[in-house]
Amino acid sequence: MSTSFLDRVSAESQRLLPFDTRNLNLFGLLLVAPGVVLFLSFMLFPIAFLVYLSMTDATHAGTIIGGDTNFVGLDNYVDLFTDSQFWTSFGITWLFLAVSLVIKIIVGVGLAMLLTHARVVGKRYMRAIVIIPMGLPAIFIITVWRGMFSGARFGPFNELLATYNSAVAMLAGIVDQALFFVAVSAPEFLLVDLPVSWLSGRWSAFMAYVTTEVWLAYPFMVIIIVSALQDVPMELHDAAKVDGAGYVHRFIHVTLPAIKRPVMFASILTAATSFQQFLIPWIFNSGGPARQNELLIVYGYREAIELNQYAYASAIMVTAIAFIGLFMWLAVRKGNLAEGVDSE
Amino acid sequence: MIAVVAILANVIGILTGWAYEKATWPMRAASTARLTLEQVRTGKRSVRDLAKTVASTAGAIAVLVVLMFPIYWIFAASLSEGAGLMSTDGVFADPSTYNLDAYHWVLFESAFTDALLNSLIVVFVTVSVSMSVVIPGAYALSRHEFRGRKKILYGYVLFTQVGAGLSIATLIALYVLFVNFGLSNNLLVLGLFYAAGAIPFNTWLLKTFMDNIPVSYEEAAVIDGAGRWQVIREVILPLSKPGIAVVLVFTFLAGWNEFIVAQTLLRPENYTLSVELYALATAGQYDTPWTQFSAFAILFAMPVALIYFFAQNYVESGLSFGGMEG
Repeated sequence: MSTSFLDRVSAESQRLLPFDTRNLNLFGLLLVAPGVVLFLSFMLFPIAFLVYLSMTDATHAGTIIGGDTNFVGLDNYVDLFTDSQFWTSFGITWLFLAVSLVIKIIVGVGLAMLLTHARVVGKRYMRAIVIIPMGLPAIFIITVWRGMFSGARFGPFNELLATYNSAVAMLAGIVDQALFFVAVSAPEFLLVDLPVSWLSGRWSAFMAYVTTEVWLAYPFMVIIIVSALQDVPMELHDAAKVDGAGYVHRFIHVTLPAIKRPVMFASILTAATSFQQFLIPWIFNSGGPARQNELLIVYGYREAIELNQYAYASAIMVTAIAFIGLFMWLAVRKGNLAEGVDSE
Repeated sequence: MIAVVAILANVIGILTGWAYEKATWPMRAASTARLTLEQVRTGKRSVRDLAKTVASTAGAIAVLVVLMFPIYWIFAASLSEGAGLMSTDGVFADPSTYNLDAYHWVLFESAFTDALLNSLIVVFVTVSVSMSVVIPGAYALSRHEFRGRKKILYGYVLFTQVGAGLSIATLIALYVLFVNFGLSNNLLVLGLFYAAGAIPFNTWLLKTFMDNIPVSYEEAAVIDGAGRWQVIREVILPLSKPGIAVVLVFTFLAGWNEFIVAQTLLRPENYTLSVELYALATAGQYDTPWTQFSAFAILFAMPVALIYFFAQNYVESGLSFGGMEG
């Protein structure tokens, strides 16, 4: 019996199938499928639904469930791109990203260089301390920083400023004592008017966001830069020193080339998280005051959950997702994220 | 269970090492100081050189103190007297007035225990569901060749690093669907949602771990007559224990830390710890109960900080898996 019935059936079905079943390892596929299905049903499916919603006139959740919506094409996007609130939100999102990124890089490089410096004793312990924020839940960090920026008279930052004020006043008092012939009082412009309502002003709230974002993300930067710096052979520095290169020269020609790539890659990733930042503005003051600091995701969330503008909010979120996709593409192109995939 | 034992063993190992380091620290510091003084006295090391080292170290310590100020503040506030920021005590309280009243309040009078139970339910679902799909998935991606394997890997890699905000973006679509199916105020569904979000990163992590297990072990087992399941049960799983432990930690954190989805979907009786923390922090602009808030926040963050502390080496090596170190 050269060819059994089963073999012939199998050969026939193989011809009919659009792919080669000999390469299709059913066992492997079955093992990986549940994860893929679960992930896709909670991620890809909602995104598709979001795109659909953004082209309807849905207002609150009830209209969607009741099937009470009409297809309106791209009207929502037209409305969105002509809405000044959108452009405020879009602008502040990029500004937040840029300012916090620059500070993160400066803080990250500075700290990494300090904590790999030959003259600092106990670097290993210091490094363990400096990355503490990484081991804390984001919601913990953000609520604590909200407390730091409390507008109350005895909030931590106001308290520190009060200490500063009394230091200035004390200095003025000493000068007054020394110059007994004239009355000297502390100059007004050196004193801070307390209490400062940090989260009620647009730019003070913005700086509070940036401070917290930097504090959240700098440990990641430090870890990556420290490991890059440790890979720079000491001989390079010594050789440069022998050649008479100064500190600045050594930084530009030895340190910088070594950390450029990791810093750039870390920047892409942390910029992507800044772009999607939601918790900081939401917990601090819900993107206020007067909706001036609503980062893009906060804007979309509020339009949907609080203002019941589902279709409009979906258009915002689809726009945000498009940019997030751009970041993903950038991360794969510029970093070797997918190296592990191709190397086999 | 095995993973829990592995973690416990690791914890005990680190604790003893830590205790030893701690106990012998003053001796080591003293001997270093003595050596340095000796060097200066005999002229092997100049005073100027020593001063530079001391100054740099002092500078580094100063930077660290400034950076860690919020941590100090939250501990000081949780121990201080009174409820709010009604006096300077909120920031620089007199240590002699420190007390544990706030912790007592959190543990016995607040909603902490109810919320803890809710959090544990969510975490249990997240961990068990994600473990049961991540382990087979990682094994298949590491050891089997099949159609679409590379596509799946690429897809997972994309979501490992970028895309935290995607869950909020998709949340508004999911919210409608959940409300429609009456699933919005449901801890099990919330746990399932977190599990789904945790799949890409953890599958990728475990897959890279399994890639480092030599195939020759499996070949030897097959030659000895082991079947497919036996190889998995007796070779792959035991050798992946450390990797599985890390995945366990990460999925635990995914369920424990998340806030915004929980806040949107849950109603007060089902609030998890993170949502209760937020409720406490935003109770009022000026009358936030800071002492109680701090104690609550510390008790909420403590398990995470401890886990992170003990798993630090793993986490850092997990960070470098994307070739980020250039």
